[in-house]
Amino acid sequence: MAAASMPAKFEVYRFDPSKDQVPRYDTFTLDLPPHTPVLTALLKIRTENDPSLTLRYSCRSAICGSCAMLINSKSRLACQTQIGPEIAAHGKIVIEPMRSQPVVRDLVVDQKPFWDRYRRIEPHLKLDAREPMPVGKENPMTPEQVERFKETPRCIACGACYSACPAVEADPAFPGPMALAKLYRFVVDPRDKAQKDRLVRIQPDGLWLCLRCHLCTEACPKDVRPSERIRDLKEMAIAAGGLSENGSRHAHAFKENIGEAGVLNEMKLVRQTYGPMDLLKSVPQGIKLARKKPEILKRPHPIEGIDEVKAIYKALDPEAEGK
Amino acid sequence: MHRHDVVVVGAGLAGQRAALAAIEAKRDVAIVSKLHPLRSHSGAAQGGINAAVGKEDSVDTHIYDTVKGSDYLGDQDAIEFFCREAGPTVIEMEHFGTIFSRAPDGSLARRPFGGAAFPRTIYAADRTGLALLQGLYERLGTESFTMYEEWDLTSVVVREGRCQGIVAFDRRHGEFETIGAKSVVLATGPCGRVYGRTTNSHTSTGDGIAAAYRAGAALKDMEFVQFHPTALLESSILITEGARGEGGLLKNGIGERFMSRYAPHVLELASRDVVSRAIITEVREGRGFPGGYVHLELMHLGKERIESRLQEICDFCRTFAGIDPVTQPIPVMPAQHYMMGGIGTNIRGETNIPGLFAAGEAACVSIHGANRLGGNSLLETLVFGKQAGTAAAEHAEKTVDPQVVAADAEGEAARVGAMASRKDGEEPQHLRIAMQATMDGLVGVFRVPGELTQALGEVRALRGRYGRVRVIDTAKSYNLNLTDALETGNMLELAEVIVAGAIARTESRGAHSRVDFPKRDDANWMKHTIALSGPDGPKLSYAPVAYTRWEPKERVY
Repeated sequence: MAAASMPAKFEVYRFDPSKDQVPRYDTFTLDLPPHTPVLTALLKIRTENDPSLTLRYSCRSAICGSCAMLINSKSRLACQTQIGPEIAAHGKIVIEPMRSQPVVRDLVVDQKPFWDRYRRIEPHLKLDAREPMPVGKENPMTPEQVERFKETPRCIACGACYSACPAVEADPAFPGPMALAKLYRFVVDPRDKAQKDRLVRIQPDGLWLCLRCHLCTEACPKDVRPSERIRDLKEMAIAAGGLSENGSRHAHAFKENIGEAGVLNEMKLVRQTYGPMDLLKSVPQGIKLARKKPEILKRPHPIEGIDEVKAIYKALDPEAEGK
Repeated sequence: MHRHDVVVVGAGLAGQRAALAAIEAKRDVAIVSKLHPLRSHSGAAQGGINAAVGKEDSVDTHIYDTVKGSDYLGDQDAIEFFCREAGPTVIEMEHFGTIFSRAPDGSLARRPFGGAAFPRTIYAADRTGLALLQGLYERLGTESFTMYEEWDLTSVVVREGRCQGIVAFDRRHGEFETIGAKSVVLATGPCGRVYGRTTNSHTSTGDGIAAAYRAGAALKDMEFVQFHPTALLESSILITEGARGEGGLLKNGIGERFMSRYAPHVLELASRDVVSRAIITEVREGRGFPGGYVHLELMHLGKERIESRLQEICDFCRTFAGIDPVTQPIPVMPAQHYMMGGIGTNIRGETNIPGLFAAGEAACVSIHGANRLGGNSLLETLVFGKQAGTAAAEHAEKTVDPQVVAADAEGEAARVGAMASRKDGEEPQHLRIAMQATMDGLVGVFRVPGELTQALGEVRALRGRYGRVRVIDTAKSYNLNLTDALETGNMLELAEVIVAGAIARTESRGAHSRVDFPKRDDANWMKHTIALSGPDGPKLSYAPVAYTRWEPKERVY
């Protein structure tokens, strides 16, 4: 089973805010078999080179969520990432702390912002006194209800998605991928009695700030696929609360626009997205844009393949005919 | 200085359940933990939680299986209580929000497990610990309590014959702090990391067991160490017993399903001690694969079943061993997995020190006796976590304010300060690795008297060297090197207790298998080992086992 060792060069971010002005990168070169997890290598550095290297770790089997960090700029679990492919792709392994969370020391970050946003979605079952739980028995669940729990219970709250998310970085109002995936877990839970309330409230509370870049899904070490859960939440939120937000109206207008002409009608999109106040605010920007690109003022001609677009819409949503 | 009615140390399942019980009893509660609650080792439990809720099953059968599994060292009164609480406990967790796997009719699904007469193990795919931890954490999150996160327990304060609080090290701020408490519950988990080949987390270092021992608490049955039969070859990552429960087969290097020689009736689903001994015997007698291991085969179960019920296992094998269990056998060997022993308690979690309670794997009630059955440890954390929390709240209600002084923390700071001021000395990680090599090599599945004596000598020598341990890192905030030193000291103390108990017990029972005394000796050894800390190492005495209805018989699977 033993594989030949290879030289692996590590550049590790080091920073102690109590004495360092700026972070530095320490270089360590180790001889290790290619399937060695990054965590094992970092622990070897602690034992043999530098016991002051500071990181969080515990289970070493991708279930405790402690060792998320940036490995060659990607948010990953150190225990779950093998050195061979990293060296093959990058020639070295650069180790840095996760993003969007202040550095406590070296690779240890303060996860308080992550947990604060998580708590905002009220992550616990909400019950209704009028519908008590069965006495002395479990709540029954249908196979369809169980099926909706396929991904989200795997979440280990490591924060890799949070670190990877540009919306988290840009906007404190955005709950973040993990919190929203967790919200989905409660919304689809038949034991939870606040489904509609949760869906209506999450619309103004940041649901539409997701950029749909799917970096969270790429980062997630447990295949929770947060961006897909956010997409599911958006559909459910519109069904529950209607088009109450700029975000939901924008999505809806986008869909309608494309369905009509196969190309965006910018003026219509803006009108359909914004309420009167926001629309007024967007006027100066609109004028600037119209000077540069006067064609946006015109209603676009349907594109050549518009029949095919319409056929696709029909196939996706046969009941929408005539609406 | 901080003060609370009840301080729970450890935020895994036992600690959180204890805290919830004390909060419900209207006490002011604090949790102290070196990990965020969701990072606790409880979350690594895979297979399931036992409750005899099936129509064909009965609480009595669960009791009998547990008594038999314990090799008649479990206290039968405690086991009876434990098994009766199983059904209500699982239902409570379902009501808290735990997402369990379901049968087609919507009820809780159950799978067969080793040493159990019926399919009794309720599960959440192969991440039952994580599912329970999430459910309990979400429930606890609706309550108010104080959380001291990433604080290392360093000592238990005992004054005037009762526990008055703890001293802990706040990693983030680099300070030792005294926390006064009318009741302290230790739910700090096991010390599995005394071994190198272990399924346990790196953080399972027995901090609470060691602090209790230093404070005068009696440790019970520490020589009983469970080796899980199926850990991944190189990393010792756990492959759940659920894999065999789902129908997985064990095969040796010549393709034989060798369990027929050791447990002709139930084969792979014999008790863990039996299966681990079988694997080691096969390898020692030359029937293993080159390099010394056996195969766990799942391929015949089919892709759909493997990937749905053993989702994490699939990921583990693919990521950590580079093999696909759908098409390839899994190379496995036994690895340290569970400490049957721990801080001695009764059913209420009370120790020999008033005001000090313990629960979960840190404690020994004892329900597991000489060998724990799979699926009983998750249940233990919840049943006895609740008991300890309730008892701690009751004790706090009738107790006067704790007497803690700043000097309690100052004493600990001075002890560690000496480690940091040494110009040269022993590095904690090097001592830890040496201890793990000793325990792996000499205190394993089969125990040889000469090897045990050698191990005791080596552990004592390491304890001597630990007197000169040195913390090299000088940083104040998040000094992990200091945590290394504290943990290593704790583990060295406990390794000594494990080995001393194993030398003294001249019989084979459950997981303690002495090659020179291959038979169980009920006449002389049907008793618990009690270890108290003394100036020359552990002072051993013995206590009777509680009996109710089940006469000892030979264990056959």
